[in-house]
Amino acid sequence: MSATPQAPAGSRAPATRDSDWLATASRILFWPVMVLTLLLVTIPTYILVKVSISRPAELLTQHPTFWIWQPTFKHWEGVLGSPELWAPLWKSLAVATLTTVVAVAIAAPAAYVIARMPKSLRYTTILGLLVTRMFPDVLIALPVAVTFIKMGLLDTVPGLVLAHLIANLPFLAWILVGTFEMIPQALEEAATVDGCSRFEALMRVVFPAALPGIMVGAMFVWLNSWNEFTYAMYLSTATKTLPLQTYFYQAKGSWFDSAAYATVLTIPVVIITFALQRYLVSGSLSGAVKG
Amino acid sequence: MAITAPAPAAGRSWLKRHAFDLALVAPLVLYIVGFTLVPVLTSIGYSFVDPATGAFPSLANYAAMFRQSDFHEALRNTLLITAIGLTLEMGAALILALMLTKEFRGQGVVRSLLLLPMGVPTLVSAVVMSYIFSLSGYANELLFRLGATAPVVWTGGGLTTLLTVVFADMWKVTPMVMLMLLAGLNAIPEEVYEASDLDGATAWQRFTLITLPMLRPAITMALVLRAIDAFRIFDLTLVLGGKTTPVIATYAYYEWSAYNNPYTSGAGATVLLVMILVFVLGYLRIAERGQEDVG
Repeated sequence: MSATPQAPAGSRAPATRDSDWLATASRILFWPVMVLTLLLVTIPTYILVKVSISRPAELLTQHPTFWIWQPTFKHWEGVLGSPELWAPLWKSLAVATLTTVVAVAIAAPAAYVIARMPKSLRYTTILGLLVTRMFPDVLIALPVAVTFIKMGLLDTVPGLVLAHLIANLPFLAWILVGTFEMIPQALEEAATVDGCSRFEALMRVVFPAALPGIMVGAMFVWLNSWNEFTYAMYLSTATKTLPLQTYFYQAKGSWFDSAAYATVLTIPVVIITFALQRYLVSGSLSGAVKG
Repeated sequence: MAITAPAPAAGRSWLKRHAFDLALVAPLVLYIVGFTLVPVLTSIGYSFVDPATGAFPSLANYAAMFRQSDFHEALRNTLLITAIGLTLEMGAALILALMLTKEFRGQGVVRSLLLLPMGVPTLVSAVVMSYIFSLSGYANELLFRLGATAPVVWTGGGLTTLLTVVFADMWKVTPMVMLMLLAGLNAIPEEVYEASDLDGATAWQRFTLITLPMLRPAITMALVLRAIDAFRIFDLTLVLGGKTTPVIATYAYYEWSAYNNPYTSGAGATVLLVMILVFVLGYLRIAERGQEDVG
């Protein structure tokens, strides 16, 4: 497949042409495979939106229609006008935003220190951050839930923020170490020579220089928290987050409601993901996104 | 934080010199200790407490758990989903990444469209898949129009449901794996391919002798990260399989939320941790020795 059928390559080695079955196959199959993949990728997203604007007759039947024959916004009016949407939406917004703010406040200074460590210590520390990723959520969430019951933190915004920081702090610190490594140490040294304290140098010179990286990392944290499901399941009994509300309607078998809730949940994620696309393409971050 | 720096003047001056750095890094360290290490150890601790007598350490929970057919099923499902899912995802992602290294019309649009699943939360992808794979859902309707006579029961348990879960997981994560492999492919210098062209190498030779070996670090990274997430699979199976298709994470969740039993829940989660550790350390060891071909 990597055998780009460049004209010169073919003319240079005509003898191998007949035996080069893979180059031939990949040339013939390229567009069929690509079109099929694109259909597989886009159709489920289409179905999500389609279900949320379908008339019941097009859906609650033995033979659902593929096309949207008569769109209706009845379900959307119902969902948007319902308090069932707004309370979870606000809770999810509050938790995601607070998690992001606290995560940046804790992870950014630590990442700066890690980035300035001597090499071997730095690698060990980064490895330690990555190892936390191997712990199953259900292993950590259990004692956290037991403790939060005693402390009355179930169903609260601070409780969920504390839980969402568990996965996001090491993740953000790891991203930001890379950011701070790229900021030359000479920059802060110049600032201290000019009479800044180290704290002032950090606040006035280093953090502003790292701001683009911090923003990108912060957006990933926001998304991770907005989507988070496992800890929310363990730590909620009465007040739900938006993912829990979506799951609740899905489990109840209510297609129209769950489709509308799922769409609301998806919109900010799609927007932010596409805004961050160029950072994802670099590859180093792509593995870290969970969603 | 120059811990390796010479410390002739004993601990106090070292502390003093690094007080600023320590203050900056302390909240993160304390958080990870308090909210990750302590809970992990607590959970493992629960799993060794005999709930009847309070004795510690005891293997009572593990003995009880291994007698449950639910747990056997969860263990088998987790392993199957990981094995089948990883194989298919790595294969599909590699093919797509290789296709994207070609230049073709509409490349930018195609690439953006291929990344679409990354913008869909896992839970939402599970909900959509539940519409597609319900009894009178879109998959069965498609089969019906293609001439199938009886609808397929996709989510009633068994191998069909496992494959449905794998399909849903694959839909969501293949773009992510593709990006990681694409970054690896882009790092292979063009000259290597040019040299192989001069030697008249076939596409298959280029793939097996150049691409795969040079892509090994990217494959290892993608495989390890994906395996960890596949072992921990939770929302997809909860939505698509419910109680008919338990995996270890949902088993641990139900033991706690439905049966109020932190002891077996902790034991299940501990087994999951051991599986992840064994896989990751084992794989890294094999990959490091370079004895294994890419899988």
